[in-house]
Amino acid sequence: MVIINKIHFFVSLVLLFGMVLSLLPMPEILVSCKPPIVLLILIYWSLAHPKYINLSYAFITGLIMDILLVTPLGYHSLCFTITIYLILIYYPQIRVQSNSTKMLSLLVILIPYFLTSTIVNNILEIEYNIIDVVLSILISIIIWPAMFNMLRFVRQKYTS
Amino acid sequence: MNSDLHFRESNITIFKLFLYFVFSVSFLIIDKNLEFSNKIRKNSSYIIQPIYLVAAFPSKVYKNISIHLASKNSLILENKNLEKKVFIQSGIIQKIPALKAENKRLKRLLGSSNSRDSSKILIANLIEVNLNPFSNKIVIDKGAIEKLYLGQTVIDSTGVLGQVSEINNDFSIVTLITDPGHALLVVNPRTDKRIVISGTGDNRKLKAKYISLNEDIAEGDILITSGLDNIFPEGHLIGEVSKIDRKINKDFLDVTVIPSSAMSSNREVMLLW
Repeated sequence: MVIINKIHFFVSLVLLFGMVLSLLPMPEILVSCKPPIVLLILIYWSLAHPKYINLSYAFITGLIMDILLVTPLGYHSLCFTITIYLILIYYPQIRVQSNSTKMLSLLVILIPYFLTSTIVNNILEIEYNIIDVVLSILISIIIWPAMFNMLRFVRQKYTS
Repeated sequence: MNSDLHFRESNITIFKLFLYFVFSVSFLIIDKNLEFSNKIRKNSSYIIQPIYLVAAFPSKVYKNISIHLASKNSLILENKNLEKKVFIQSGIIQKIPALKAENKRLKRLLGSSNSRDSSKILIANLIEVNLNPFSNKIVIDKGAIEKLYLGQTVIDSTGVLGQVSEINNDFSIVTLITDPGHALLVVNPRTDKRIVISGTGDNRKLKAKYISLNEDIAEGDILITSGLDNIFPEGHLIGEVSKIDRKINKDFLDVTVIPSSAMSSNREVMLLW
């Protein structure tokens, strides 16, 4: 029970840190193609503890992101829920993959995320640039191994 | 037994997915114009503001450090330049009371209604956070305590920035004129023609809509607010026409306008009353 509480505490802490990171001011060229850091953090934790970090986590984090980033309520929560659902289905396969294959499977998992966000953008008539979307996927795949190792360090040090 | 358990769990997951999907989509439908989430943001501003402040902290520290590290010579030079600028501008301002009186007299002669006159200016600082990349919004550190109102005009030293779109207790959100969902009516002082200008999402670009192919508009035309939308006061600078694309098979001209204000790279903005 103590360990579960510990996991929840550290996951919330890391997620909060990710939210601050995604709010950080950046040069204007990088703004539109910034990777979804909060989603990557969620993906890591749901790979590590799929029992505790489930769809409810994704939904609530998405709602908080919507409030913080001034997007229509439900935008991020929809995208996050769908992505984490994919993780919850495929986590046994992804866990045993090597680092480079993990990057590939992340690509496969992020495509539905960007597809849903693009569809919602189209329905709500939010303008976006398709090149930025592709760049954002590529950047998140490139930073994934470093993030993975960092978060694994946090997990092994504090939540086990 | 074990597989049975797994089966039940995945059933719950699918049920949850369906539930949250329905929730999200219904939220999206209800909250298309951000009305619902504005209410939530207002009530939870005590939680949101610290997160914004934490995110803005590194850039604040960086700016403070760079102020302390600036050399004396460069500060003297900057001071000299600013003094010169103030001297020239106060020379220009001398003429304004006379021009105002003349304008009033002429308007009375024409019988037109008096335009609104901004009487009070408040300077607000930007809280430098990066909101949704697909919308152009900035956060300022003044809110309901300073008696801001919705739709209030926000300008910087070179032009119109946008309007206040959401007010919380001690911070508010400004929608820039470059936001894709924003449009306003401007006037071209050279021809006195009115033009609808809407945002593109790109902070260095605006576009003029519904200009017929034979309309008199040229590159380099300056556009100012018309005051007809009852939001922006009359006569503030919006931008300059930079490119006109005449495509013969289209109904309207493709006109690109470069905004004159520095948009989100400002540090301080002015609020007009």
